Amino acid sequence: MEKKVKLQIDGKEVIAPEGMNLLDAGHLVDVFIPNLCYLKGMRGFGACRLCLVEVEGLKSPVIACNTKVREGMVVHTQTEKVRNIRRFILDLILSIHPLDCMTCTKAGICKLQEYAYEYELKNTSFIKKKMGYPIDQINPFIRRDPEYCILCGRCVRVCKEQGTNVLDFIGRGINAEIGTAYNKSLRESGCTFCGSCVDACPVNALPEADRWRKGREWEYTKIPSVCLFCGNGCDILISVKDGGIQKINTGEKPGSTKKYICAYGRFGYDYIEDRTRITTPLKRENDTLKETTWKEALSIIAAKLKEAGNETGFISTAGITNEDALALKRFAKNVVKTKNFDTTLSLYSDIHSMKDSQSALITNSDLIILIGLNPSQWSRVLPALDASIRKRVNRGGKLLVITSADIKIEEAATLTLKGDEITILKAIVKSLIDKGLKADIQLENAVKDAVVTEDIEKAAKLVEEAQNPVIFTSPSLFDSSANLTIIKGKVIAVGFESNSRGVALIGLTTEGKSYSDMVNKGMKVLYVIGEVPLNARPSHTDFLIVQTSHFTELAEQADIVLPSTTQYETEGTIIDYLGRLKKLNRAIDPIGTSKTHRDIFVAISKIMKSPLKKPSENEINKLIKVKPKLSFNPFIRRDGFEIAPREFIESINASVLRGRRLAWLKEAVAAIAV
Amino acid sequence: MEKNIIIKVCMGTGGVASGGEEVLAKFREMITESNLNAKISSNCHAQKVGCRGFCSKDVLVDVIVDDVKTTYKHIKPDMVERIFNEHVINGVPVNEWLAGPEYNNFHDKQTKVVLSHCGDIDPEDIDSYIAVGGYNAAKKAVLEMAPEEIVNIIKNSNLRGRGGAGFPTGLKWELGLRIKSDVKYVICNGDEGDPGAFMDRSVMEGDPHSVIEGMIICAKATQSNSGYIYVRAEYPLAVKRLQMAIEQCLMKNFLGNNIFGSDFSFDLKIFQGAGAFVCGEATALMRSIEGKRGMPSPKLWRSAERGLWDKPTVLNNVETFANVPKIILNGANWYRKLGTERSGGTKVFSLSGKVRNTGLVEVPLGISLREIIYDIGGGIEGGKNFKAVQTGGPSGGCIPAELLDTEVDYESLARAGSIMGSGGMVVLDENTCMVNTAKFFLEFTQAESCGKCTPCRIGTKRMLEILERITSGKGKDGDIELLEELGNHIRATSLCGLGMTAANPVLSTLKYFRDEYIAHIKEKRCPAAVCRDLITFTIIEELCKGCGSCKRVCPADAIRGTRKSPHRIDKELCIKCGSCFDACKFKAILKV
Repeated sequence: MEKKVKLQIDGKEVIAPEGMNLLDAGHLVDVFIPNLCYLKGMRGFGACRLCLVEVEGLKSPVIACNTKVREGMVVHTQTEKVRNIRRFILDLILSIHPLDCMTCTKAGICKLQEYAYEYELKNTSFIKKKMGYPIDQINPFIRRDPEYCILCGRCVRVCKEQGTNVLDFIGRGINAEIGTAYNKSLRESGCTFCGSCVDACPVNALPEADRWRKGREWEYTKIPSVCLFCGNGCDILISVKDGGIQKINTGEKPGSTKKYICAYGRFGYDYIEDRTRITTPLKRENDTLKETTWKEALSIIAAKLKEAGNETGFISTAGITNEDALALKRFAKNVVKTKNFDTTLSLYSDIHSMKDSQSALITNSDLIILIGLNPSQWSRVLPALDASIRKRVNRGGKLLVITSADIKIEEAATLTLKGDEITILKAIVKSLIDKGLKADIQLENAVKDAVVTEDIEKAAKLVEEAQNPVIFTSPSLFDSSANLTIIKGKVIAVGFESNSRGVALIGLTTEGKSYSDMVNKGMKVLYVIGEVPLNARPSHTDFLIVQTSHFTELAEQADIVLPSTTQYETEGTIIDYLGRLKKLNRAIDPIGTSKTHRDIFVAISKIMKSPLKKPSENEINKLIKVKPKLSFNPFIRRDGFEIAPREFIESINASVLRGRRLAWLKEAVAAIAV
Repeated sequence: MEKNIIIKVCMGTGGVASGGEEVLAKFREMITESNLNAKISSNCHAQKVGCRGFCSKDVLVDVIVDDVKTTYKHIKPDMVERIFNEHVINGVPVNEWLAGPEYNNFHDKQTKVVLSHCGDIDPEDIDSYIAVGGYNAAKKAVLEMAPEEIVNIIKNSNLRGRGGAGFPTGLKWELGLRIKSDVKYVICNGDEGDPGAFMDRSVMEGDPHSVIEGMIICAKATQSNSGYIYVRAEYPLAVKRLQMAIEQCLMKNFLGNNIFGSDFSFDLKIFQGAGAFVCGEATALMRSIEGKRGMPSPKLWRSAERGLWDKPTVLNNVETFANVPKIILNGANWYRKLGTERSGGTKVFSLSGKVRNTGLVEVPLGISLREIIYDIGGGIEGGKNFKAVQTGGPSGGCIPAELLDTEVDYESLARAGSIMGSGGMVVLDENTCMVNTAKFFLEFTQAESCGKCTPCRIGTKRMLEILERITSGKGKDGDIELLEELGNHIRATSLCGLGMTAANPVLSTLKYFRDEYIAHIKEKRCPAAVCRDLITFTIIEELCKGCGSCKRVCPADAIRGTRKSPHRIDKELCIKCGSCFDACKFKAILKV
C-alpha cells in the first residue's frame, strides 16, 4: 500500500498518495490550478509559471506541478499574490499571441483563452508584437503555426517521450521557438504525423491541417470507439458534426494504449467517402460488375450457398468485431453447413498462442521483454506498441530486446540480445535457475545444455530484479517465451490485426480447410469478408463473393460484391492484444446502403430459411471469458507464420491507405527515402 | 660560481594574445645560441607560466636569478635580446622596462590561495606542480583520510560555493556522501559566462592541476568514481591544458583505476560546452552533458540526490575546487581565518572597467570594495570620479559610492542589492550612464535566456523595450514604476537563477540612481552624456582653432568651416558618433 499524506488545499482536506504533486492533488478535490505546460504523468516542467501557489510557511510561491504533497501542508491557490502573478504571466504571453479568438479554431478549448477570461485580460498591457514566423502547412495532417505558440513545450515532451524525437526548442531569448532539426518543415523532419503533438498543444499552434471552419469543439458529438486498422486496437475519440467525422483524437479512457494513435488512426478516416467506396451491391453481368439490389444479390448468394453447402469456404480478416465473427461462424456452420471458415489470423499465429496469451498493462510493467517482434512507429507496424514501450522506458521502465534481426527499437533498449531467440531464451531461463529462482523440473531439463554468457547473465539479472516483467512475443515464439513465465512475469502474443485474440476466442477458426488451403486450392463458392491480402481470384473458384467497404483488386474479380460498413459505422467489441475488451460505437450512419457483416449474414440466413439470431452481449462475454492455461511446452519456433508484417498491414488496409491524406504520406515517405 | 636562472614568460590567454609564444621562443633561442650553460656554467631555462592577473601589462616576463625575481612588462620579441645580454648574462636589469612599483603594489595587497601558483609554475608540466607540493593533498586524502574526515575539514573551513550562490561546500559534500548509489558524479563547472569575468579561465589555464586535485579529493569525500569538467569550447587553451593535465595524471596514476595505489578509482573527463550562458546553471549544465538542450529544470531533488543521469552529483565551481587542496594541506582553521565569520577564505575577482589596474585579484573575504578598487586597482583611470561598481555580472547589481565601504562577502553584497556572483567586478566612472549600463546587462540576459519560462523569455524583453525607449528619449511617465513592477515579478516567478536575477542590474540602478532615469524620462537628458539620442555635439567658437581635425574624422560630413576659423556642426547631419569629440585637441567640442 502506498503511503498517504493529509494536506489542505484552499481549505479543503485532501488525502493524497505520497509523492503526488500539488496539481494532481488539487484535482482530487476539484481544485484546478491553472497551468499551460503540465502533462499528467510526466515530471513537472516549470515553464509556464501559472501554477505558482502559496504554501503556508514558505516565503515565496512554489510551482504546484513540481512540488510534492507533504503531511500537514496548507496550500492556497487563489491568493491575491498568486492571482497577480498569473495575470502578469498571461499579460506577457498575450503580448505576442494573436488575439483572434473569434475566428480561432481552438476557441472554446484553448487554455490561454480560458485563463484570459478568468483573469479578466481583454488585451495585453504591453505593446503588442508579432514575431512573423512562417507557417508550416505543406503537409495535409498538421498545421504548425509558431505565431500562436506559447512555448509550453508539451509537444516537445510528448514527441520525445514516445521516441519520435522530431520537435525541440531552438533559439534563445525572445526568439526561442519550437522547431525541428535545422527548422525544416515537418515533412522533411522525419515526422510520422501521429499527431500526438496536436493533442498536447493547449493553443492553436498545432491544429489538424484541415480543422479550420470544421466546427468548434463544443459543436461536436464525441464518440469513443476503437481503431481496427492494426493489431494495437487503439482507443479513439471521434468528433462528429452534421453526420460526418470532423476529427479523431486518442481515446481518453484510462488504460488505453496510453494516449497514442498513429497517422492511420487519426487521419485515415477520410477514406470512408473515397471514390472507391462501395455503396450498393454489385453483380457480374457479361463480365462487368453492375449495380443491383440487396434483394437480388442476397437471393443469388443464398442459392449459391445452398447449392455448394460444405464446398463453401469463408475467409475473413481478423479485424472484425466479436459480434461479426460469431455471426459469421454460426452462419457458416449452422446455416451453410460448412466447416471451412478461417481468418487471416492463421497467416501469422496459431490459435493456442492467442487464446492462452495473458493480460497485462504496459504502464504497470517495470521490465518489458520484446521477443522476435519489430514494432515501429515509422513503418507503422504496431506503432502504438512501439510508442508505449518507449514511453515506459522514458518513465523508468526497462526494456530487454531479444531479436535475430536489426530493429529500430533497440535504440531504446536497456539491453539487446542478438541471435536465435530460442537459444537466448533457454540460456536466460538457465541463468535464472542457476540464480536459484524456482522453475519446474521439465523446464530445468529442457535448458540444462544452454550456454550462459555474460550478456545472458545481465539479461537474467534484469528479469530477476523486475517486479512485474511483461513479455511481448511474436506468436511463433509464444511457447518458448511462455516458458519464462513459469519462473516469472506475464506473456502476451501480439497479433497484427485488431481482433486477433477475439476471433480465436470466439472460435472463428476453421474446422475444415485452412485459409491458405482455400486460397491456394480454391472453393466452389468462396466468400471473402473484409480486406484480405489477396489480389487474384483463386483458381478453381466457381463463384466469388466479396463483402467489403471499398473496391479492392479482388472485389473487381468477384461475382457478387456486397457493401459492408467501415469501423466508424458499426458497433461491437474486440479484444485487444493486451486482453482488454474494447467497445466500438457507431459514430456515423453507414454510407450508401452498406450494412454490417452480421446484418448481411442474418439477412441471407432468412432467405435460406434458417434464420440466425444476432449474437447477444451475454454470448460474447461467455465465449471470451477464458482463463489462459500455461504450462511447460518444448522450446520450438512454430513454422508457417513468416509473413512480412509491414506488407501484410498495408495490404489489409489498402483502401485506407488510398485515402487522400495517407496517399500523400506514402508519396512523401517514398520521396524522402530516395 | 653556479647561478640558477629561470625565465618565466606569461602565457595565459592574455599573454599568448600579446605575443608570449614568440617571446618565449626568442628566449629559448638565445639560451641555445649563447650556449650559456656551458659558457658561464649556470643552469638557465625559460618556461611558460599561467596568467598572473595583470593582463594589461602583458607580455610579463620574470627573470629569476638565484631566487631574486625581476619582472618586466610589455615585452616584445625584439626586446628579448637586450634583456638577455644585459640581465641574464651580465646581471644588470634593464631598468626602463621593469614592471615597477605599480605591479608590485597590485600583487602585494592580495592574498593568494587559489592563484598562488598561477604565473609561477608551468601549467603544462605536472612535475612543475608537484615541485610546489602538488598532489600531496590528494594523496593524503585518498590514502590516509576517511571520507567523513575530509567532509568535516571542508565544513570547518567555511568554504562556500565560488560560483556565486555561496552554498556551503562541506554541506553539499556531506549530502553527496550520505546518498547511496552505484554511480555518483563529481562535476566541475567551468562554464564561466559573465561578460568581463575570467577568473576560472585563468585558473584552468594557469594551474589546471589544482582543479583536478580538488576534484580527486571531492571524489574521495563523496565516494564518486566518475567526474566531468564542463568547459566552454570558447576556452581552447583551458581545454588543452586540462586535457594535458588529465593525461599526465593518468600516466602517474593520479587518475584512473586504483589511484595512488589505493583501492579507490576516479575517472575524469572533459566535456566541452557550446557556450550558452545558461549552461552555467547546474541543471542546464547536466542536461547539456546528457546531450540534451541546456535548459534548467525545476528542482524536485537536489543535485546531490539526483543530478546527472538522475544519479547523485556534486557540482562545484572551478575556484571552489582549486581551494580544496590548500585547505587539506593547511587545515580548516587556516582557511577559515582568512575570511569572515560566515565565509572562509579568499575570493578571486576580475577587476575591469574604468579602474587603473585591471586584472585578476584575489582578496580575503571581508575586505572592503574601496580597498579593492583603490588600493589594488589603483583608483579610477584618468583621475575621474567613481560612480559605481557592478558586481556579479548580469545577475548582479550596481553599488554606488556611498556604499564603497561595504565588505565583500555573500551577505553584505546581497544587502547592498547586488550579489557576489562568480567574481566579475566592473568599475564605472562619472562618464557612465547607469540606464545604459542596465540596458547592456539586460540585453545580455535576454539574448542568453533559454526561452523556457515565460517571465524570463518575454518579461525581460518587455523590460528591455522600456529601457530602449527611455534611452532613446521616448520614456514615459510611469516607466520607472513599470520597470520595478516587471522586475519584481520576474524575480518572483522565474524558473532558474538566470531569470530570477535578470532584473537585478535594473532594480539596483533604480534604487541608487533613480534621478538618472528621471533625467532621461522627464528632461530627455542623459546626465553622463552617453545615450546617443539624448546628446548633442556643438563647437565652442571661442576655443576652436580651426585646425580641421574634427572635420577630417567626421564620417557624416556634418562639420563645416574653413581653416583657422571656427567650425560648425550641422545638427541635421550629425550622427553623434563622437569622433570629433575624441579628435579635438583643444576641448572645443561640447557634448551635452
